[in-house]
Amino acid sequence: MSKIEIKNLTVNYTEKKKSFTALKNVSFSIEEGEFVSVIGSSGCGKSTLLSILEGINSPTEGEILINGEPVTGTGPDRGVVFQHYSLFPWMTARKNVAFGIKQVNKSASRAERYHLADEFLEKVGLEQFKNKYPSQLSGGMQQRVAIARALAMDTDILLMDEPFGAIDAKNRTILQELLLELWENAEPRKTVVFVTHDIDEAIFLSDKIVMMTANPGRVYREIRVPFDRPRNRAELVQTKEYNKFRNELLSMFYSDIVSKIGGEEVVL
Amino acid sequence: MNIQAKTAAPSADISEKQEKTSSGFKAEIFRRYFRVVHALFAVLLLVQLLPDKLKTETYASYVIWFAVGVEVLTLVVSAFIKKRESLNLFVDIVAFVYALLTAWTLATAKFDLLKAALFPPPGKVFWQFIGDYDKILTNVQSSAGIILQGYLLAIAAAIPLGLFLGWSARLGSAATYISKFLGAIPPIVYIPYGIALLPTFRSVSVFVIFLATFWPVLGGTMSGVMNVEKKTIDSAKVLNVNKFTMLFSVILPASLQQIFIGCNQGLTVSFVLLTSAEMVGAQSGLGYYIKNYSDFGDYTRTIVGLIVVGIVIVFISFIFNRIQKFLLRWKQ
Repeated sequence: MSKIEIKNLTVNYTEKKKSFTALKNVSFSIEEGEFVSVIGSSGCGKSTLLSILEGINSPTEGEILINGEPVTGTGPDRGVVFQHYSLFPWMTARKNVAFGIKQVNKSASRAERYHLADEFLEKVGLEQFKNKYPSQLSGGMQQRVAIARALAMDTDILLMDEPFGAIDAKNRTILQELLLELWENAEPRKTVVFVTHDIDEAIFLSDKIVMMTANPGRVYREIRVPFDRPRNRAELVQTKEYNKFRNELLSMFYSDIVSKIGGEEVVL
Repeated sequence: MNIQAKTAAPSADISEKQEKTSSGFKAEIFRRYFRVVHALFAVLLLVQLLPDKLKTETYASYVIWFAVGVEVLTLVVSAFIKKRESLNLFVDIVAFVYALLTAWTLATAKFDLLKAALFPPPGKVFWQFIGDYDKILTNVQSSAGIILQGYLLAIAAAIPLGLFLGWSARLGSAATYISKFLGAIPPIVYIPYGIALLPTFRSVSVFVIFLATFWPVLGGTMSGVMNVEKKTIDSAKVLNVNKFTMLFSVILPASLQQIFIGCNQGLTVSFVLLTSAEMVGAQSGLGYYIKNYSDFGDYTRTIVGLIVVGIVIVFISFIFNRIQKFLLRWKQ
């Protein structure tokens, strides 16, 4: 049995009397401890898919099974990192993490929660900033806190919705490496669903890439990433295999867009 | 090597600082103390020495003592305030007080330009203030007690109710219209009902202030709750918070700014209402103090009352602002 099974998911939205299909017959499954990236151009429904996994939205048809049980709402088995607004601006970094811990572990005392929060803030390199409010932190630091919170909550599954999408290129690389290191070294490894539109990010992080197409959102391909772990970016990007794989993915990505638009003179 | 560098750094820092202070010392003293406000202080003192035109006692010594007190305070504050802007603000306010007192002294005691019965000289007001100190304190306590009681009761009732109504999608929209209608009725018109239903002037006042505060706070809370960003609510939902935590740990702080707008409105209306009500029907309180003495033609005490009302309102607003700033310290 797979950890997560997505079965024939269809989502229709009605907005101002116009209905449109965000997802159509999306099916794939994710194994326990697997890092899966969902990739696609904007409007392919990848964030909608994730919001159903989070339990915030519900599908029009189909269902998602986690450990064989259908998802009916949010649950303590899933931790989430959004692109923005994951943190509560009125809580310090430390309180944000401790608040997350409190929701999954009601029996922990205040001191225990704070201790655990400090531990995870240290893991993401923010021990000096634990008493700062989100507004006093940079975007990258805020995402570090959000990751620390998701990890400190110690959920089986981690759902990440373009967590590094709004961060500058240099910090994005650093955060990807941090995330990978924390995930690879954890025992047991968490099941991660990571939404992105960045192909390099998807290759570097994942075991499997699910590529989606837009209008309506569908799974286009499922691609297994053939590189060993632990991965070292500097070494990896120099190998022939990496570049070949990357080019294949890119051509798939763009051929899909070209076929969708239907023209030969597509300016990308 | 490392340790050396570390220990060397602070001492270098200190010596640099010392250099700075010794060279900039004069400039700093000059900047802090060479100000127009001190000239205004001197003018105020000199004006007191002019011969009085007013026939009655003018108590010039009280103005002098007051001014000396303010001047000492200014000098002390000048030495301690760090921010240049804050020092400027403080000094400008003191300068205004000096100028006002100078003009007031000239217009009353020295040249007798205003009707002496309506406009006593400043010294007499200070003298009266000191003489009436106990009475004023009792009246301040009476007024502030009523305001606090009605105001705090209203906040304690309106915020939880507003959170609950604003959070419930269906009740919220109906409640918005209802509270707009009920809140639009000036609270003062409830007074006849209050008098019919409640035993004392005090309880009627508390009741009216309760109503005056309740509606704006309820409205502010509901609109705050309804305007909380969906993403904030989503990030709480994915953490699996229960209903109570959602309302009080997420929705409440997220709508705090709007709640404060309601609280501020309630506070302003409460003062207006209470002082007016006291002028009509009370046996104590600041409104009563003013009205009572103006009825007897004692305008010195009337002015004392006016000044005290001003001080009390400024003081309470100051405290309120401090609380607001503290609770919203996470906002930039």
